[in-house]
Amino acid sequence: MEHLLYIGTLIAVWTIVALAANLVIGYTGMMSMGQAAYLGVGAYVTATLNILLGVNFYLALLIGSIIAAVVGAITLLPLLRIGGFYFALATLGINFVFFDIFHNLAPRVEGSEGLYGLQLPDLLASSAPRFATTVAVAIACAMLCQAVVTSPLGRALRATRDRPDALAALGKDPRRYQVLIWTFAAGLTGLAGGLYAATLFYIDPTLFTLDASILVLVYIGVGGLASTTGSVLGVILLIAFNESLRFLGLPSQFVGPFQQAIYGLLLILLMIFRRRGLVGKYDFTE
Amino acid sequence: MTILLQVLSTGVGLAGYYALIAVGFALIFGTLRIFHVAHGTVFMIAGYAFFSLHRLLGVNVFASAVVGVFCAVVAGLAIDKIVYGPVLRRGGGMFAVFIASLGAALIVEAGFLAWSKGVVSVARTGMLDTFIVGGVAFRAFDFVIFAFVAAAFGALYLWLHRTSTGLEVRGLTDNADLAAVVGVNVRRTRYAIFLIASALAGLAGVLVAYDTGLEPSIGFKMLFIGVVAVILGGVRNILLGTVVGATCLGVLTAFAGFLFPEWNSFTIFLIMIVLIIIRPQGILG
Repeated sequence: MEHLLYIGTLIAVWTIVALAANLVIGYTGMMSMGQAAYLGVGAYVTATLNILLGVNFYLALLIGSIIAAVVGAITLLPLLRIGGFYFALATLGINFVFFDIFHNLAPRVEGSEGLYGLQLPDLLASSAPRFATTVAVAIACAMLCQAVVTSPLGRALRATRDRPDALAALGKDPRRYQVLIWTFAAGLTGLAGGLYAATLFYIDPTLFTLDASILVLVYIGVGGLASTTGSVLGVILLIAFNESLRFLGLPSQFVGPFQQAIYGLLLILLMIFRRRGLVGKYDFTE
Repeated sequence: MTILLQVLSTGVGLAGYYALIAVGFALIFGTLRIFHVAHGTVFMIAGYAFFSLHRLLGVNVFASAVVGVFCAVVAGLAIDKIVYGPVLRRGGGMFAVFIASLGAALIVEAGFLAWSKGVVSVARTGMLDTFIVGGVAFRAFDFVIFAFVAAAFGALYLWLHRTSTGLEVRGLTDNADLAAVVGVNVRRTRYAIFLIASALAGLAGVLVAYDTGLEPSIGFKMLFIGVVAVILGGVRNILLGTVVGATCLGVLTAFAGFLFPEWNSFTIFLIMIVLIIIRPQGILG
């Protein structure tokens, strides 16, 4: 039961990341391959404030999300001049840059590679309330994202993706929407990062590498681009599937590689047979 | 001063590996517009094949090397046929191919991860010879690398500029649609491109396995370094571009590794991002 609650909490956390990534990749068509960086910023800021400075967890979480959003905006601004494929490549580079930053600059608890010892409030302190709280936050995020994409702003985002010229002709700057949604998504990802730290109790730089960014890509790729249902569905299906692998009775050192191989195969099959994923409304066209 | 030269010599040694990977990647990306992430995988397959034969089974170095390169060629052609072919036939674009390629790379990396348990695999048994000239230590193996790289680039130059297939490849780099219209056999050229690029990556894999050894994540690492080298040099002039790009990057990484070893990938990728922003066409482009 304890373990099931833990898995449920992880699903909720990754759902938030997937929702944020889908806003950027699916709805706005900006190929982000560096979401792990913002996840890491959120997690590290929240954990550092809480553990080392004794800041209240909720406040730390809020500051973590805001800083992740700011970092998101700062990293995006120089990249706005480039488009398409080179944009994707540059965001991919962000993973490596931030890994070194976390690895070399982030504080760590004496004698370990990372940070632990969060002072968690009652709602997050033990597994059952933590599950309930994270799921509630994830549902709130899903509703917020759904509200965003069904609003006029959502229409503008899709226009930014499909017809940036038309949008510009109407006197609206597509870049404004790109910055807006990227910052918002980075903030959401940062929030998920703080909750991720609360779920795992321990964070270190290896959690926030290219692997995590690829994982997000697989989740929304399987679930479906430009679809809130898709983001949620992809995360639930893949994490549940991943957990069911335990029952295969593989020797423990093969579990990780086996999962990675399955994800690789899924990416290939998706790109060949169903580029829009299960319930997606957009695919990688370019 | 001696230290400066020492770092420079290390950098030039690294540049050889980067150039071998980068030139194949540039050949494929420049002509077919395929972002071949699995090129790093092809490199790794050769390295592990060479390691298994030479180190584990005790086969002669040259025979193992030839088999290693052969494995790389088979893997490169197979990935094109099994993965990229179907994606492109079903209307997938550049991103779709890129993601499928990432998938292929993940699968093979997982295989090596399960097999080698992430331990570094070095194919050689003895130490590598060094000799000292004017206080700077040169590795004899760096000269072997240099000889291979020079031979490979010489052969590539002849292929690209003296044969009809080479002419077709250069035609594809300039204008793929026009090349197809004037009767370039795109399928055959594509086959040749993947064959040669994979063989070069395989050669690099064998050399690296012998020199510093391999671990499962090296495929991605080398690929991205190759990509940065290609972006540095630009894809318009494949040979000169990759030589310039790889040399700059090799020397830069050697200096960065010497001055701030903790910030190695930070330096490489910051260079890449800055370069993409200010000069996406590369230094020579």
